[in-house]
Amino acid sequence: MPAQSSKIRNLLRRFGLILSFLLLALALTLLSDRFLTSANIINVLRQSTINGIIAIGMTYVILTAGIDLSVGAILALSAVMTANLLQGGTAVPLAIIIGLGVGAGLGLINGLIITKANVPPFVATLGMMTIARGLALTYTGGRPITGLPDSFRTIGTGVVGGVPVPIILAGAAFIIGAVLLTKTAVGQYILAIGNNPVAARYAGIAVHRYTTFVYVLAGALSALAGMILIARLDSAQPTAGLAYEFDAIAAVVVGGTSFAGGQGGLGGTLVGVLIIAVLNNGLNLLNVSSFYQPVVTGVVIAVALLLHRALR
Amino acid sequence: MASNNSKPSPILEILRRYSVFLILIGIAAVFAFGSERFLTASNLLNIALQTAIVAIVAIGMTFTILTAGIDLSVGSVMALSGALAAGLAVRQGLGTFAGIGLALLAGTAVGAVNGLLIVKGKMPPFVATLAMLAVARGLTLVYTDGRPIAGIDENFIFLGNGTVLGLPMPVVLLLVVFIIAATALRYTRFGMYVYATGGNEETSRLAGISTSWITLLVYVISGFTAALGGVLLVARLWSAQPNAAVGWELDAIAAPVLGGVSLFGGVGGVAGTVVGAFILGILSNGLNLMGVASFYQQVIKGVVLILAIMLDLLTKRKR
Repeated sequence: MPAQSSKIRNLLRRFGLILSFLLLALALTLLSDRFLTSANIINVLRQSTINGIIAIGMTYVILTAGIDLSVGAILALSAVMTANLLQGGTAVPLAIIIGLGVGAGLGLINGLIITKANVPPFVATLGMMTIARGLALTYTGGRPITGLPDSFRTIGTGVVGGVPVPIILAGAAFIIGAVLLTKTAVGQYILAIGNNPVAARYAGIAVHRYTTFVYVLAGALSALAGMILIARLDSAQPTAGLAYEFDAIAAVVVGGTSFAGGQGGLGGTLVGVLIIAVLNNGLNLLNVSSFYQPVVTGVVIAVALLLHRALR
Repeated sequence: MASNNSKPSPILEILRRYSVFLILIGIAAVFAFGSERFLTASNLLNIALQTAIVAIVAIGMTFTILTAGIDLSVGSVMALSGALAAGLAVRQGLGTFAGIGLALLAGTAVGAVNGLLIVKGKMPPFVATLAMLAVARGLTLVYTDGRPIAGIDENFIFLGNGTVLGLPMPVVLLLVVFIIAATALRYTRFGMYVYATGGNEETSRLAGISTSWITLLVYVISGFTAALGGVLLVARLWSAQPNAAVGWELDAIAAPVLGGVSLFGGVGGVAGTVVGAFILGILSNGLNLMGVASFYQQVIKGVVLILAIMLDLLTKRKR
């Protein structure tokens, strides 16, 4: 009997998240005949690409027992700088590279403040959040930068083989992120740092370097998400990405990655992103007032975490 | 060397203990030179008034941080309690006193739910209060239907705009909250247990301290101070806004952190928190007086936050 129940527990632990997602999708399919249409599915996926891409970086950060509150502000600053370069006539690939570089550079500063100056990640990235948002507002004078070249806008609005480009980019980011995390030494080092930084250091892992790396990754991915956002909207707002850090953290938590570090992964985060997106989509389809959306999201975060705890 | 160990250099000792005060004085000195309007009584009162509400919320936050926790929900709890106070007083016709009393109770209850999620649900405080941030904001939107609630009476408005002995009411309330909090932390068993829980929860529990109760209570306190802050904000602005206090949790966290309260728990106190809140308030006020654009102010605040923490860590490490 105990063997039996622990077997069920094991199955639930491995597939519980997917199961919840499928049950949710099934319920919405029964409740609304517009849910399971290809147009709506593409719509949900497209809406979740930006949070999804940011959540990849956030997963890495949380796996090291860190946190990054600055992703939304980094998104905004790199987006307005990219938009400004594009309007100034900079070639599209170069503008994209510089924009990603800005995001990575801000992430590098986060990482260095955290590792070299020993500032807790919460405070370091809180400071960066304020700084990057202030710089984005200063840089634009608080006004949006509108009108971007068509070739750039492809990354937000283009379609290849029937699939929107943002979904392809997010999918690629997930696959690369998952391979890096599960199949390479870098991924093992990051998990080891999250499990026990002291032990990791004694094992010869360059803890500072890999901790810095996760913040660089989070910064660069935020910049990528920012580019997709402005390409879709044809406009870069200095207030873009406000509070996106909370959406990304929510997705990671629902996906079962532990705040204590070292446990979890991108598969869970992907399902977490989709659960939150599908829930919001479902509430829209069922004509529930948008005021209830934060309530539902909050309850889902709490319930998901309690279930993860119960099964662990 | 031996004497160096037993008696640290007095200058470093002063720096370590009073570094926040020195930062505050330094910033104030810069502004006093930069603008002649800065050091006037009316401006100083103005700073106190503008800082009081966030300082009250930050004092409650300090209790949670002292136990190595955090309360991200305070901004949303402020909005919810403010909306309930105005709504119950005006729309439900319960009157100002019953409205405010019930709103404070509601905020305190939200804090208790946070505490239960953390203690009974074993959720990390960051996640439990993040979920509550979303839930309480959503409930505020639902309750207000997304529209402001106006029409509060003069007693209510007095809380935000009246004066007692020349001091604005929010400042008077800040003083009361500060004295109670400082006394509780310094002179009561509860205060000692808060520090012990934050210092080392496992050891505290083995020493017979009910860390569950202490943890629950600090979130109840934070819920109450957030509710009080929310009520005062409504009184200041003459109306309850559904999107009031968005992002205030970050200022309420920055204040204790600036004031030397360690995010790892067990270190710091509410005096530091109030000084930290005033550093933030003086920065805004002084930069305004000097005509610095509000966008730059954010950048400067972020830099000051990081530099202050680095200075704090540096002086503490050399102890």
